[in-house]
Amino acid sequence: MKAGVVVFPGTNCDRDTKKACEHFGWEADYIWHDESNLDDYDIIFLPGGFSYGDYIRAGGLATFSPVVQAIKDYVKNKKGYVVGICNGFQILCETGLLPGALSVNDNTRFICDVVSLAASDDKMPEAISLPIAHGEGRYFAEEETLKQIQQDNMIFLEYQDNPNGSLLNIAGLIDRKNNVIGMMPHPERAVFKETGNTDGNYFFKLLEAKIK
Amino acid sequence: MKYKAEVKVTLKNGVRDPQGSAVDTVLRRTGLEDSANVQVGKYFTLTVTADNDKDAKNKLDEICNDVLSNPVLEGYEIGRLEAV
Repeated sequence: MKAGVVVFPGTNCDRDTKKACEHFGWEADYIWHDESNLDDYDIIFLPGGFSYGDYIRAGGLATFSPVVQAIKDYVKNKKGYVVGICNGFQILCETGLLPGALSVNDNTRFICDVVSLAASDDKMPEAISLPIAHGEGRYFAEEETLKQIQQDNMIFLEYQDNPNGSLLNIAGLIDRKNNVIGMMPHPERAVFKETGNTDGNYFFKLLEAKIK
Repeated sequence: MKYKAEVKVTLKNGVRDPQGSAVDTVLRRTGLEDSANVQVGKYFTLTVTADNDKDAKNKLDEICNDVLSNPVLEGYEIGRLEAV
């Protein structure tokens, strides 16, 4: 199993993500943002951080990078999974690979915390906790889009105690048809016991089961 | 021809604006204004190359929709547009 971890100028969770992949015995490469060949990979991670300084909007400019254009083809041709974490989720929404958008937190603050989540996939425990760290994590979509999200059973993670005002308590989405997952919480920061939380392992094991 | 343009991007009606609300609170606390309904947005100036006014406007619409705003959350307004 081979993972690609995309690195933009301003990405800062790339090393955590690569280490987490390697912890499970996967091969993992960094992919620089001007790369456009993704043929080697079973899964692509868009990790957290502040791509291109998050100028204009969080994830807004990253959408136009060669690697994200290549990710669109990767998804279209069903080459593997794409997982966006935090800034990566923002990028996936900006790109239209997932519906809706992430806007400024309700309390206007950058929130750095550990949150309780309900996971919808039956291969994960129903209740897990994961770290979050974001200023723009309030999930927003038009009412019609929200209905569609519910109809298509796309809510992958739900906040138990909504920290940022996300509609429908959405913390993560999955597009099962196209194998795209986006989430604000950071599973890669909850893999090693030294970090005090290992619930992120459930997510990586789930990916492993989906791909193998 | 070169056209210089001003663009304002603001949150759509119905999208909560926590930054605007925070400024509202400050204005209320300082006694400067009780209900200012502040909306926080972004302001851009840019220059585009186009053959005529209409082309310039079309090009700006494309730039605003694709890059300067996220249509899920935001609307835009092209302000002054003049040939330079």
